[in-house]
Amino acid sequence: MKLLIVEDEAKTADYLRDGLAEQGWSVDVARDGNSGLHLAREFDYDVIVLDVMLPGLDGFSVLRELRLRKQTPVIMLTARDRIDDRVHGLGAGADDYLVKPFSFIELLARLQALVRRGRQQESTELNIGDLQINLLARRAFRDGNRLDLTGKEFALLALLAQRRGQILSKTVIAAQVWDINFDSNTNVVEVAIKRLRAKIDGPFRNKLLHTVRGMGYVLETREDEDAANARPPA
Amino acid sequence: MTPWRELPIARRLAAMFAGAALLVFALVGIALYQVLQTQIVRYQHAELETKLRYVAGSVNACELRERWHKVEDKVDSLVSSDRSTKVWAWSDSALFRIGAGAPPVEAARGAADRGMGRLWLADSDAPYRVLAQTIPAKGERPPVRIWVAIDSQPYRAALRSFAFALVALGLGGAALVALLGHWIAQVGLRPLQRLSSDAQRLSPSNLSQRLQPTDLPPELGRVAGAFNGALDRLEAAYTRLEAFNADVAHELRTPLTNLMGQTQVALQRPREAQRLTEVLTSNLEELERMRGIVNDMLFLSRAGQGDIALDRVCVPLAAEVAKTGEFLEYLLEEAGMRLRIDGAADAWIDTSLFRRAMTNLLHNAVQHATPGSEIVVEVRCGEAVPGDCGSGASVAVRNEGKCVEPQHLVRMFDRFYRVDEAREHRGERHHGLGLSIVKAIASLHGGNVFANSGEGRTTVGFSLAAP
Repeated sequence: MKLLIVEDEAKTADYLRDGLAEQGWSVDVARDGNSGLHLAREFDYDVIVLDVMLPGLDGFSVLRELRLRKQTPVIMLTARDRIDDRVHGLGAGADDYLVKPFSFIELLARLQALVRRGRQQESTELNIGDLQINLLARRAFRDGNRLDLTGKEFALLALLAQRRGQILSKTVIAAQVWDINFDSNTNVVEVAIKRLRAKIDGPFRNKLLHTVRGMGYVLETREDEDAANARPPA
Repeated sequence: MTPWRELPIARRLAAMFAGAALLVFALVGIALYQVLQTQIVRYQHAELETKLRYVAGSVNACELRERWHKVEDKVDSLVSSDRSTKVWAWSDSALFRIGAGAPPVEAARGAADRGMGRLWLADSDAPYRVLAQTIPAKGERPPVRIWVAIDSQPYRAALRSFAFALVALGLGGAALVALLGHWIAQVGLRPLQRLSSDAQRLSPSNLSQRLQPTDLPPELGRVAGAFNGALDRLEAAYTRLEAFNADVAHELRTPLTNLMGQTQVALQRPREAQRLTEVLTSNLEELERMRGIVNDMLFLSRAGQGDIALDRVCVPLAAEVAKTGEFLEYLLEEAGMRLRIDGAADAWIDTSLFRRAMTNLLHNAVQHATPGSEIVVEVRCGEAVPGDCGSGASVAVRNEGKCVEPQHLVRMFDRFYRVDEAREHRGERHHGLGLSIVKAIASLHGGNVFANSGEGRTTVGFSLAAP
């Protein structure tokens, strides 16, 4: 998947490029508004990450110019989060808006959501290793045994399963499962994960629910058990 | 020319005084002029009357043709003694006539008996004042009509010089009033100048400096008092801001120290990848903590500037509280606590902000409540009418546990204020902004926060005003 980063701050642009490239994106970087606009017009990207404060042409202008010709999805980055900035950005045709300092996995989640949007029909039956989840019946089985999950536990599992292999931050989880759209400064998500883990992974040798310390949680099958064990427990 | 509103006050006052003086002088002058004019006319009338009576008496006495010369003599003596006087007599008989030039006589014919008329003569710039009378026939003499006229030129000249004097004196007087007014205004405004130079001496380096309201006239004393009040508030706000800055710096210093120290230690010598991963992970945690502080501070700052748009909807508060309770369910369960929601009220709220405030309040209660106890949320409404969102509401969270000292109660909503430093590390990261965020959210909803504590119970809550 092709992605364009328009960002003048060298460190930011570099770590974004490296991080996204590692996640399998093919990344182009533009250091100012004019070259960013040029690249965005000449090539077809799946999504564009656009900074607001840019030398030459600012992010809003780039977006306006781009929208005259193309509907490439755009995520805007800004250090300011005043409401009018947000409205301005979304009004100018941005698809999403991220305020600095943002976490990398937050950006990753938003990028994937944008690219996924309208692309595929979500399946109602999910299989991860020997874990089976039926979203319609709201039931989960592991190795053929029905798992006894509460409503919230099932919602949490479904979210992790739908985004399998993707690290989900606590903020994203709180927002998706509990509709809590702010940093709550509580360890609710940690506790919920701990309970869910006890139920789905407890008695089994192959662990599926993994903690990525400082970043969040991921549901995936890991062949390399040593690597999985090397991660500190939650 | 300087626009009026940029003129100094003293000059404005001087100009206004001068205008007022000019108006008064003009009115008085016009009145005096009218009075003088009336008097002059009356005087002319009286003089004409005397002269007419004198001539009329002699005409009346004359019955015979040979006696007419006596009348002519009298008229001659009258005219020669006062050159400004003219006399005419006219009758049908040419023998009983005085004064040539019928045209003026004809012109003056209109002058009524005993009524004063005007007569323009070719040799004069000013009209003559004229009075006429008809003497009935007597003996040989037919009826004779006589006219006496006096020149009004000297009177007009007198009036004109009087008017000129009035205008000159009026203008001079107004100018004098302007000068005096300017001087008076300057003297009167001296306290204001003193106040202004006092104010100029105020410097940002000494915030406790104030204006001296003593020795000032009462009006300015009030201004100085109000100004000093504003300075008091500014000083308090500035001091709070400084304290806040210090708190922020202090709060950020800990994670920064950890970040720098850990990184420096890690870089001292070659390390295994796993050790470096651990350092990076730990750094990430510190950075997350800093991000939390910065975001909360930004939220508070924007809330303080009224920069957060409320997206209000009318909802039952108890249901919203229940949703937050659901989020914190695991924490309550772990602490062995139960949540009970009492009462009902509908209110206009921004649900996201309300949940944020409720999360902070409930989390605060969970941290301070006795394990195994019950946390009670009381939802109250102005008038407890279901479906009525117009009367505002309040939410109070009560927990059992150690009481909070009164001196802490008033300050617990301050930023970075901690009732008990030791409690900080009991739970997870926590930087003392939770309750100030509750306060900010209450203010955004036009409400306020409250707290009380006693008999092993602590209640903390906030109110919401009707929009």
